[in-house]
Amino acid sequence: MTDNDCVDTGGHNCDEALERLYEYLDEEMDEATADGIRSHLDGCTPCNSGFDFERRLKVVVRQRLSEEVPDGFLTKLRKALDDEAAHRR
Amino acid sequence: MADQATFADDAMQYSKQLYAAAMRMTRNPADAEDLVQETFLKAYRAYDSFTAGTNLKAWLYRILTNTYINKYRKAARRPDEVDLGDVEDLYLYRRVGSEESAEASRTTEDRVLDGLVEADIKKAVESLPENFRIPVLLADLEGMSYQEIADILEIPIGTVMSRLHRGRKAMQKTLWEFASKRGLLPENAERP
Repeated sequence: MTDNDCVDTGGHNCDEALERLYEYLDEEMDEATADGIRSHLDGCTPCNSGFDFERRLKVVVRQRLSEEVPDGFLTKLRKALDDEAAHRR
Repeated sequence: MADQATFADDAMQYSKQLYAAAMRMTRNPADAEDLVQETFLKAYRAYDSFTAGTNLKAWLYRILTNTYINKYRKAARRPDEVDLGDVEDLYLYRRVGSEESAEASRTTEDRVLDGLVEADIKKAVESLPENFRIPVLLADLEGMSYQEIADILEIPIGTVMSRLHRGRKAMQKTLWEFASKRGLLPENAERP
């Protein structure tokens, strides 16, 4: 991906946009900077499609990292806390 | 100051999330249960030092993380800090596309994103060295902010950012290997 691939509309070239990919996706930048990236993405198909893939991957990772709690664990945990409380009284 | 009598009611809501994080840290259910239970007991005992109304979830994660590091890292005798080689940006994305057409690339992207099963994603996280795995878990599983992660791990925000950056890219490299083994990738796929 080179700068020649895109129309640079927001004062951000591809390298700059890529450097801040995760800050953008994690919503860790101020609105003005995010707007700059957004206008770059609007004018740059390769970056836009790369950013979109990363955004979708992030959702997939989060969904598939979820974990079923084993049967009885929450009851066991609650009981451990109750026992600790009784012990301290 | 928080009231110890309300601890269970305040904290139990986070137990499932903490268990999921503990599973990715310890890599097995028995240790994950022990780790969460130990975290809750420590938190209960220290609850009067917790300022009511502040970030309980972050506080619990801090105890979880420290307990894990102190207990399991010693047991595993793993080095404190491991470095990751540099991986290029958009690692996976660059390898799922082809030059044929945007439509064909999109189909491959969908196939890869659908075809990477839970076990692949979990293994990819678990394969990260701990100093990268924990920030990635806090961000990607818990959706925590950089500041929250910095506070929990007591590292500067710039370090959080660089570990997330490199950890996520290293994960993509592992995911690419899984996708490749599962036959999800077209031959010679590589974007320009």
